[in-house]
Amino acid sequence: MLYGRFVLDGDFPDVLRLAARGDAAAFARLWRDTHPPLLRYLWVSVGDTAEDVAADVWLDVARRIGSFHGGEQEFRGWLFTMARRKMIDRHRYEARRPVSPTADGELFERPAPDDTVAAALEYISTETALALIATLPRDQAEIVVLRVVAGLDANAVAQIVGKSPGAVRVAAHRGLRTLREHVASATVTSPGRGGVTL
Amino acid sequence: MRVFTASLAEMWFSARGRTRLSPDEATAELMLARRRLGQHAPESQRTLELVLAAAAGPATERELAGEAAAVTTFLAALPEPEPARRRGPRRIPALAVAFMFVALVTLCGTAEAGALPAPLQRLAHQAINAPAPPPAMRVPRPTADVTPGPGATGSHLASAGSGPSQEARTGKPSASPKPTHTSDSQGNGNGSGQPTASASAKPTSSTTDNGKGNGGTPGQGGSNSNGNGNGNGHGNGHGNGNGNGNGNG
Repeated sequence: MLYGRFVLDGDFPDVLRLAARGDAAAFARLWRDTHPPLLRYLWVSVGDTAEDVAADVWLDVARRIGSFHGGEQEFRGWLFTMARRKMIDRHRYEARRPVSPTADGELFERPAPDDTVAAALEYISTETALALIATLPRDQAEIVVLRVVAGLDANAVAQIVGKSPGAVRVAAHRGLRTLREHVASATVTSPGRGGVTL
Repeated sequence: MRVFTASLAEMWFSARGRTRLSPDEATAELMLARRRLGQHAPESQRTLELVLAAAAGPATERELAGEAAAVTTFLAALPEPEPARRRGPRRIPALAVAFMFVALVTLCGTAEAGALPAPLQRLAHQAINAPAPPPAMRVPRPTADVTPGPGATGSHLASAGSGPSQEARTGKPSASPKPTHTSDSQGNGNGSGQPTASASAKPTSSTTDNGKGNGGTPGQGGSNSNGNGNGNGHGNGHGNGNGNGNGNG
């Protein structure tokens, strides 16, 4: 049973065709379907500037949607490929202009403390789950989000990140193993919070 | 050797085909494919499954807050077909003007060179003072008005050699052929008396006329004078004329 879902499914061809003709309602439907996973992917990758990068991505989508051909899976691959390029540009920009890390950035760069994991499991929400994933090494976190949040298979993710499908699977498995260790340690070290009673 | 190589390849592919995922890898693939684990899965895996499910949960209000702005940006960023349509009518007059300019320059150059067809060359001659069409191109008019003039054989409207005229009496030899018409004519005039003699030929007809006149009226006064005038006129189209005059006073 799938718990993630594609909103459009069979309606995608018609929605895409109307959006390519400039139909605002069709574009809004497309946006509602794909913007949340896009924003989560960027949030794990670039942090607080995710919304700015997402706006740039959608601007490119609006300009080039007339030339796109493919199904919903291909559309998502196209969208996240553009997002990844924007993300790389953002990293280069930030590398040229280094800024002092904020408290949130420190949270993403260091291993999550046990209390944080326990809180995430106790008040499990999208933000805290993404915060847990963001503690993984960047390439593993990116692949896990693309597979789980964006709903792409290993081959599509491999095309986006420029790796072989086998390398994508290995990175994803390593990421999940590390994440499971974090969760297990949370259940052991935070019994006072009730552990994981989900 | 080939058999050995082929068998190695078969072994390699068959080995890959038999490769199976470990239980952990299989579980990881299920979770990555967003499929729920069974109730018998270890608790750590079930917890991880819940974390992944939360990461892929329904959209939040905060995530969907920018829908109106996104649609506005979308409508503003759409490529407009109107500018492309406007370019067409703007380009066509520019090309038409350029083409007409080139055609006009070519036409003027051809007219100045006298290479146009006769009717067009005639129009160009009248309009921009281009050279007249050559005589060979002229078409003689078949309707010739033949009226013999006095003192001239077969001359009409042409005063060439027309007898004793006023000019002949003056004893000033002059010849003034003025071809003005599409006609061929010749005129001869002789005058005496006053030292003015004139012979003029004005070919005005398409016929060939010859006129002879004598202006030999004795001059009045105390002197004798003789005048002879010869005039030849050739007119064709615009006409050509030659005139000679001699006068003695």
